[in-house]
Amino acid sequence: MTMLKLRNLSKRFGGVVASEDVNMDVPGGKITGLIGPNGAGKTTIVNMITGMMPVTGGTIHVGDTDITHAPAHEICRAGLARTFQNIRLLSEASVLDNVMIGLHRHERSSTMAALFGLPAAARETAEMTERALALLAEFGLTRFADYPAGGLSYGHQRKVEMARAMAAEPDFILLDEPIAGMNDVESDALADIFRGFAAAGKGVLLIEHNVRFVARMCSHIYVLDGGRLISEGTPDHVLNDPVVITAYLGGGDDA
Amino acid sequence: MSGFIAGYIPLLDLYLIHLGLAFSQYIVLRAGVFSLATAALAGIGAYTAGIFAVKLGMHPVLGVLAGTVMGMAAAIVLSIPLARLRGVYQAIATVAFIQIFVSLNIYAEPITGGALGLNGIPKTVGTGILAIAAIAATYVIWAVERGRLGRAFNAIRQDEAVAASLGISIVRHQMLAFALSGALAGLFGALEAYHAYALDPNQFGFHLLITVLSYVILGGRNSVIGPVVGTAILIILPELARFLAEYRMVIYGAMLIIVINYMPKGIADTVRDAVRAGRLKRRGEDPA
Amino acid sequence: MLAQQLLNGLVVSGVYALFSLGFTLVFGIQRILNLAHGAIFMTGAMVAYYTVSAGGPLWLGFVLAILASGILSVIVELVCFRRLRKTGDEEFGGIISSIGAGLVITTIAQQVSSTQILRFPFETFPVVIYRFWGLRVSMLQLFMAGAAIVLVLVLGYFIYRTSFGRRVRAVTDNEHASMLMGINPNMIYAQTYFVAGALAGAAGVLVGLAFNSISFVMGEPYLMFAFAIIILGGLGSIPGALLASLVFGMVQTLTIAYLPSGLTDTIIFAALFLILLVRPNGILGKDDAGSLRGRR
Repeated sequence: MTMLKLRNLSKRFGGVVASEDVNMDVPGGKITGLIGPNGAGKTTIVNMITGMMPVTGGTIHVGDTDITHAPAHEICRAGLARTFQNIRLLSEASVLDNVMIGLHRHERSSTMAALFGLPAAARETAEMTERALALLAEFGLTRFADYPAGGLSYGHQRKVEMARAMAAEPDFILLDEPIAGMNDVESDALADIFRGFAAAGKGVLLIEHNVRFVARMCSHIYVLDGGRLISEGTPDHVLNDPVVITAYLGGGDDA
Repeated sequence: MSGFIAGYIPLLDLYLIHLGLAFSQYIVLRAGVFSLATAALAGIGAYTAGIFAVKLGMHPVLGVLAGTVMGMAAAIVLSIPLARLRGVYQAIATVAFIQIFVSLNIYAEPITGGALGLNGIPKTVGTGILAIAAIAATYVIWAVERGRLGRAFNAIRQDEAVAASLGISIVRHQMLAFALSGALAGLFGALEAYHAYALDPNQFGFHLLITVLSYVILGGRNSVIGPVVGTAILIILPELARFLAEYRMVIYGAMLIIVINYMPKGIADTVRDAVRAGRLKRRGEDPA
Repeated sequence: MLAQQLLNGLVVSGVYALFSLGFTLVFGIQRILNLAHGAIFMTGAMVAYYTVSAGGPLWLGFVLAILASGILSVIVELVCFRRLRKTGDEEFGGIISSIGAGLVITTIAQQVSSTQILRFPFETFPVVIYRFWGLRVSMLQLFMAGAAIVLVLVLGYFIYRTSFGRRVRAVTDNEHASMLMGINPNMIYAQTYFVAGALAGAAGVLVGLAFNSISFVMGEPYLMFAFAIIILGGLGSIPGALLASLVFGMVQTLTIAYLPSGLTDTIIFAALFLILLVRPNGILGKDDAGSLRGRR
């Protein structure tokens, strides 16, 4: 069983501890949640997993591949895709072009072919266009293919970003606050998509602020506070854990 | 009639050479590198070719080849330090590179002819060869744009974090863009050497940097038509307004300010985007 | 004559400091590299020349040069940068726009001066040489050093001791937050550009007097040197620019004196290149030369 594994993951900025000894398992075919109050250190974990921030201690594995110190672009090749907290599309490029960029991992034509416009390159472009269109159809975005991505509604932009991440055909997908700023109808539509990922065998790591949503989606939840894991388990277990309740009510020491 | 055309041949030749240099500038900007090194890379190509001809007496084909390779090699070497820098710092580093090229060139008088320049290069390149080279360059840029490299360049230019998250190696692609930029600059620099009889170090300095940058900014830096249009306008315009000849650089300057402020995508890209938007509008769907 | 060279280097450093301080001040407050700064410097020298050649006294030329350069600098900000800041494209666009402004200003100056090198009338500045401890120093050199020190001190006073300076530093740190505090950033920008331009104009007059040679292209080498200085000092850092001007002025004077002529520029720009590689944020700069870029 392939697994996204975090072992004793730590991050220190000078003397300040941003996260310490974080151990997590994200198995394939399931949705795993990571929650925590504001400032709990969720973003730090995301940045370390995705290679945007150097790791101070511990390891990160995607399946058998050690990605602890891999540069950002190799992490995608190891099989981990991501979406961004505030949607990041290439806003002037068309929806189709946005998804095609996600297919980069599968492009194999030689540099010479690309430079001189050899038939191999043209074939590849045609093939990638077809694959991107198929993905757009899957996400119900076909009619927007030629529009600039920046002009779409918020919900549609989020779907384009999902399609782009899926284009890489990852084994794992990391969703960084995917339903922030969405209404219930929009987030329900996304919930179905996330379940679809898991059903297709992909491991989903859902990082969310909205506890209710995570409880509804996930089989296993990790709770982060002050850079450390304070609880983990099934939604029922975690939501009734007094430590978690204290952390969320913001009681701190004197509550 | 033929006399009339002949009168415009030098202008056409200038256009063809500068189009190649404009593409050299274009391709690095396209890949998100703020390099202004094209002028110096062209100088390296030109001087390599010139020295091959004057000092070594080599065949022009060899000279052009050597100029292209030298331009490319210099660009690859330059890309290594630039990969560690961003935005403004890349611009400053490449301007420094141009200064180093010009001053070393003046200093190395026994090889380069120093401030007096390199003279007596046999003229072996005419309009025909220039046209072939310019068409070939246009084709390569067009091919790059349509394929996987163009897609990767677009992603890197617009958002490096996104590009990396999708598995695109920023360093590798920017180095490739640089190599292509250097090869183009070297090639057209070398052609200039065999076209102009003489070379002068200052001809590859700050002034050329501004000229080439203007072509790309005016025309547009996101489609192959941009440099084609931009270079044409800036070369023809002063001819149409000869009474303004003395104020030619005022026109260039004012245009840079106006275009970057009010039409930041450049003429060709703005027109292209407007056409596309119009087509989508006629289809009558609302994306939002 | 090492001591003599060091003394000359010190005077040169003062001019570089005046030029670079404005350059780095503008970068610090707006992240904009104003490539028209060299043209503004040249304008200062030209205004002083035309004032003197029209029969005005030198002090008047100096005052008019400072005013004209300051105002020109404000105009450059208004025309070239204000709109770009709104669209958020000031890093790339600002360079293009200010190259444009530099071209316009220098070409007009070229036409006005008929592409000639202009020289002040004889004894515009009294030629007096003092000798002490075996060193020669001219009254002009003393004046240059004095003017540079006074202007730098005045700038330092304004930035670090007045409410204007506090507002400038507030806007430098965070434009949005300072707006909430009731500071009008546009006013602060205009004032900063005036100060930057005025300092450059003063440097222009001093250089014009020192070499008694004023031409429309005189700004270009100073702009290039200022690149080296502000990188060495750390982009946006005022104390860094001061220290780097000193280092740069000395090194340049010594290389000219002791190394084969013609190699000076190569050495300077090779050093700039090396500094960018080894310490891109300079001696005293903040960390922002590397790292992944966001959208552009």
